[in-house]
Amino acid sequence: MVNESIVAVEGLWKQFGEVNAVEDLSFSVERGQVCGLLGPNGAGKTTTLRVLMGLERPSRGSAHLFGERVVPSSRLLVRVGAMVEQAAFVPHLSGHTNLRLWWEAGGTSMKDADVDGALAIAGLGDALHRKVRTYSQGMKQRLGFARLLLGRPELLVLDEPTNGLDPGEIREIRELILRLAQQGATVLLSSHHLSEVEQTCSEVIVMNRGRLVAAGTVSQLIGSAGSVYVEVDDRERARSVLAGLAGVHAVATQGDGLVVDLDNGRRSDLAAAIVGAGLRLETIMPTQQLEDAFLHLLEGPADGAGPAAEAKTPPQP
Amino acid sequence: MIALLFTEFTKAARRTRTLIITVMLVGLPTLILFAIHARADRPADNPNGEGLFRLASQSGLLVPAPVLSVMSGFLLVVIAGTIAADSVAGDAAWGNLRYLLLRPVPRGRLLVAKAVVAGVLIWACTVLVSAAALVGGLLLFGAHPVTFPGVARFAGGFHLDEGALLLRNAVATAYVAFGYTALLALGTLFSTLTDTATSAIGATVGVYVVSQILDGIGQLGQIRYAFPTHYLSAWRAMFVENRYPTDMLVGLAVQVAYLIVFGAAAIVWFQRKDIRS
Repeated sequence: MVNESIVAVEGLWKQFGEVNAVEDLSFSVERGQVCGLLGPNGAGKTTTLRVLMGLERPSRGSAHLFGERVVPSSRLLVRVGAMVEQAAFVPHLSGHTNLRLWWEAGGTSMKDADVDGALAIAGLGDALHRKVRTYSQGMKQRLGFARLLLGRPELLVLDEPTNGLDPGEIREIRELILRLAQQGATVLLSSHHLSEVEQTCSEVIVMNRGRLVAAGTVSQLIGSAGSVYVEVDDRERARSVLAGLAGVHAVATQGDGLVVDLDNGRRSDLAAAIVGAGLRLETIMPTQQLEDAFLHLLEGPADGAGPAAEAKTPPQP
Repeated sequence: MIALLFTEFTKAARRTRTLIITVMLVGLPTLILFAIHARADRPADNPNGEGLFRLASQSGLLVPAPVLSVMSGFLLVVIAGTIAADSVAGDAAWGNLRYLLLRPVPRGRLLVAKAVVAGVLIWACTVLVSAAALVGGLLLFGAHPVTFPGVARFAGGFHLDEGALLLRNAVATAYVAFGYTALLALGTLFSTLTDTATSAIGATVGVYVVSQILDGIGQLGQIRYAFPTHYLSAWRAMFVENRYPTDMLVGLAVQVAYLIVFGAAAIVWFQRKDIRS
């Protein structure tokens, strides 16, 4: 047993010839978290997920699920619902037959599967009995979600689950992920769509060129990389209060409020200082979104010592 | 394992390709049958080939032999190679392989199930050819004993009654089907080496074509005995020379050897392979 983490990656390396697809990567996902794995194309996200699912062997290091080391076709995978890259099926069979054969290939009867719940999520109606080769990409993705939910998984591992979907379908999938998380599932979601991660995930792991750049909560990443906008009832008094606060780099006026540049301060400290000074706090929010923080992180050195506060530094192999 | 076999069989059986193969394997023997009928009155000049065709018009029970003789050398090789080499690579090409492994289905068990299903289909194809020829032959020529004429190279003529003909047809069909065991093992191995089904099929059939070409070069001597195609036609001695040749037993042993070596290689490779499709 490694620890209580649902997912734990330790000193992971994956090499293809001379290329390091993943380099000394360590992170963990705790039970109940909805964790985004962010990175540009080629960051090593999919390779990491493939190693986690036992589809690829690590060159060095290890991956653990539910505290046990992952090996190819590990029985631990019955507790996981995974969609690695696009949902794929046997094209000449119907959606329903695909689900049935996939489930029964594992040696269990369809009676043991959450068929009704999965089919409700697929929402394919009569199309479920059509050959999959006639499906749109969106229909395949929905059928893919139905498949991964058949076993009532404790952990969802989703690799770019909204690729090829229209805005309405993306919203449906996002709401589905949040609903499943509320029901207790742990989610590891790989994406390069920052807004998707921002709206879905509580935790974020940022990768670039195979390495961990930062890890933390979304608000930590956003807050760590920039400044905060504050509106109070007495702007000038607040300005003097905040200017003397530790972790504050600069305070400037903007519109009706103040923009506070943080070195390493936290928004909660700012709020506490304002309230403590007897001021009424109207608004406090980051001046930038995850996209700004993400780009800021990628501009920094990809050695795990990026500017993110509380970024996890991977152990050396 | 039974459930896995069932799912793999369902996937294979419901393909349009399977239907096309079935039609071909019934249609071609029918065409050959009509050719036999058309040439029934012509003299035999080669007891190993054309003679079997001419004699086949004496009895429908003899028709499967020349039909197998014609179809086992290439068409059945292509079909068997396609079925075997597509087993893993086909799923990989669809992107479905990774989802089977995520189910999770143990890799070794999945490969064995796919190879067993491919083997069953190859046997079914061979039996279908033989059965189509037999049924068509019986309808066209009826069931009679056959008198084989003496041939200078061999002993004098001989006579096979209906029972003997049926038995030898069954043995010949089983031998031809088993003769694709090496092809099955090779195809399965190639299927694990690539995610492109056409590449795996091309490589498998290519090896057999090369083996047949090299087998025809006598100067290669005893090395030819190890080729997977060398003993494929050994069964014809049952009809031409009225004997069960020991070459058939050697041929079976060669096939088993290929199965062990290449089957094991396929399992070892597939267990270690990174699944990137």
